[in-house]
Amino acid sequence: MNKITIALVGQPNVGKSHLANAISGSNLKIGNFAGVTVEKATAKLRTEDYAIELIDLPGLYSLEDFSADEKVTKEFLVKGDYDLIVNVLDSTNLERNLMLTTELLELNKKIVLALNMDDEALKEGIAINAEAMSKILSVPCIRVSSKTKFNVETLVDTIITVHEKALAPSKLIYGSEVEDQLQTITRFLEDKHFHIEGLSYRQIAVGLLWQKREIYAIVHDHPLYVELQPILNNALGHVYMYCQCDEIDEVIHRQHAAFAKGLCTEVLSVSKIKAQSITQKIDAVLIHKFLGLPIFIFLMWALFQLTFTLGEIPMGWIEDGFGWLGETIGETIDNEALKSLIVDGIIAGVGSVLMFLPNIIILFLGIALLETTGYMSRAAFLLDGFFHKFGLHGKSFVPLVTGFGCSVPAYMAARTLKNKKDRLLTMFIIGFMSCGARLPVYVLFAGAFFEEDVAGNVLFAIYIFGAILGLIAAKILRVTAFKGEDEPFVMEMPKYRLPSLKLLWFMVYSKSVLYLKKAGTFILLASMLIWFISSYPKNDLIEEAYGAKIEALQATQETAATEQEASVASKEDSAQAQEATPNDGKVASAETDKEAPATEQEEAKEGTSVEDQIAALENEKHEKIMEQTYLGMAGKAVEPFFAPLGFDWKMGVATLSGLAAKEVIVSTLGVLYALGDEVNEEDASLRDIIKENISFASAMAFIVFVMVYLPCLAATAVFYKEAESIKHTVLLVLFTFATAWILAFITYRVLLLVS
Amino acid sequence: MVDLSQIDKNQRALIKNISAQHGLKKRLQSLGLNVGQEVQVVETSLQKNTIKIALGFSSVALRLDEAKAVEVELAS
Repeated sequence: MNKITIALVGQPNVGKSHLANAISGSNLKIGNFAGVTVEKATAKLRTEDYAIELIDLPGLYSLEDFSADEKVTKEFLVKGDYDLIVNVLDSTNLERNLMLTTELLELNKKIVLALNMDDEALKEGIAINAEAMSKILSVPCIRVSSKTKFNVETLVDTIITVHEKALAPSKLIYGSEVEDQLQTITRFLEDKHFHIEGLSYRQIAVGLLWQKREIYAIVHDHPLYVELQPILNNALGHVYMYCQCDEIDEVIHRQHAAFAKGLCTEVLSVSKIKAQSITQKIDAVLIHKFLGLPIFIFLMWALFQLTFTLGEIPMGWIEDGFGWLGETIGETIDNEALKSLIVDGIIAGVGSVLMFLPNIIILFLGIALLETTGYMSRAAFLLDGFFHKFGLHGKSFVPLVTGFGCSVPAYMAARTLKNKKDRLLTMFIIGFMSCGARLPVYVLFAGAFFEEDVAGNVLFAIYIFGAILGLIAAKILRVTAFKGEDEPFVMEMPKYRLPSLKLLWFMVYSKSVLYLKKAGTFILLASMLIWFISSYPKNDLIEEAYGAKIEALQATQETAATEQEASVASKEDSAQAQEATPNDGKVASAETDKEAPATEQEEAKEGTSVEDQIAALENEKHEKIMEQTYLGMAGKAVEPFFAPLGFDWKMGVATLSGLAAKEVIVSTLGVLYALGDEVNEEDASLRDIIKENISFASAMAFIVFVMVYLPCLAATAVFYKEAESIKHTVLLVLFTFATAWILAFITYRVLLLVS
Repeated sequence: MVDLSQIDKNQRALIKNISAQHGLKKRLQSLGLNVGQEVQVVETSLQKNTIKIALGFSSVALRLDEAKAVEVELAS
């Protein structure tokens, strides 16, 4: 079977991904190849004779406009391994889209033009004569609509025909003066039989006249260059004079613009003029002077409110499901160690992460909606003035919002910023936008410490607080580490479009699958590892010692019981016991440590509290055993570091494990408390356990710490790749840890003082 | 000389010249701000830091600083 690799290229917002989706049906897969320079979305499609692979390259306005994103695309187009280019154009904005096409035509590759959004164009009274266009360009142009699937099959057929035929040079015609000069150069090359493999004489001539480095590199080493130079100089002089401009880039641009304009007058006819009326009307409200920002804030608030309240419902089912699963499976396993591994390790760990899938889905859906409707650039418009004050850029908004989903694509999205310092600054701040993986931690703690009806607001407040911290950090970094000029803010405002349900479904689905995969592999392994290091080495001595104590207590309980029977009538006795009970828990546990015999005697007097005593001893036993494990040792080692923040060693360990992936924080807490709290079997929910074991001040400090400290290792690795600087990566690590620690410390101390 | 930052909302104008450093010029051009193109300011932000202009079949947002680089002539 033959394989065709297609590079999908087009300006932003022309519906490339949608078209890829329409071509491939349900077979589109977004491969998130961390570390590969091009983030490829590949779709595989099989026809009778071919397997077709589509590579969805980042959208770009021009090949020569050097933002990092565009460099990636250009590099791939020049050096990448693919068979042909499918240039996707927005039929409703043909002339501007053709500017990129002219540059692509000069690349001298097999190419097919897909005139997308045909349905929309027809509605707006725009008709394109695709046949005439194909003839003029001598490149197949197909009107398609990814929405209605119009002509999608024809497009695929055309791709295959073009692939099978030999490369036919396109007819990109310049102004007559330029053409004259090209002819002179071509004739000279012909006379001298100067070949460059894969290029025609005309193409070499164009390359020389446009001063393309690649061509010069070859020609310059050739003896012919001595003769060629005067001819070139002469030609350039003529062109400059003709264009009244002595910048070759400007000349090229004007030639391309003229060609695009000329082509449009030949093939485009507009019957009614009502362009953009709907978009303008919506914009009159959404980016209104006074209404714009409140609407934006409301939309964000609604998103987080929904994330919590709507996600809450299935969350309960999943939690119950895993509880039931753990019990049922636990009953069937006899081996204690294996049972513990499966129930306390795997099910508790993976379950606590999977529980948050509904929240994640809603959040990703919200972000996908922002992206596909066109509202994202409106938000950038609204926020630019505000962002600018903090040294950020309106366009930083896009990577920052992506950061609410996951930092990894967010770091990549920062490529749209051209200026290196702006880009680095934005990347530093992305960590402050709490990623989807931190959501479980927030949902868990917000749910544990706040009433259900305010938890959604708490969640929103956490995100807002993080974002505000990010802005402040941006300002600080801007005046210290990243001084420099601002990048200009120029941004297209695409039309509002109703997103296709299929594309939305695909975007959310592929991200959810990634989350599930992570839960099934990475988090599964992490849970098992955490379980192992928190269960071993087993310490029999402690177990025996406590076993003996508990047995002794049980014995006294029996005797006490008989005594009690005798004095059942005595009211004084029971009154005395009641008085004592409230304090028993604390007093007893403190005393058992130091003077076990004394407590025994005391307890003999107050028979009712013996059971509490046993429970306390059980708890203590688990604590002691846990402290002896590898994890306990690690926890103890880091405890001094976290103690000023009010974290116990379990929270410290959870924080460290969160470096692997933020979801692991919750699964670690799940495993640790599932192991530690076998006594309180009735408290099946992790939320209740947390509420019981962690003070409010510590919990808030924990949230603050998690909010700020380093994104996971994978994200840090991507940061390093994108920033291409060890110095900045180290700075990121130090900066986020220091900020997290200080802020958590302040939170803890202030809350302690207040309460 | 009138530039894009000075024209009123909903006033139509023609682009005469773009005088900006190379990168910005390239970006403005690739977004469709070519000499001879008709433009119109359609929306401004609260403090008029950012404006939205309509041109041909698309709209572009830019800061006032960048708008100053675009020389225009009022269309009748």
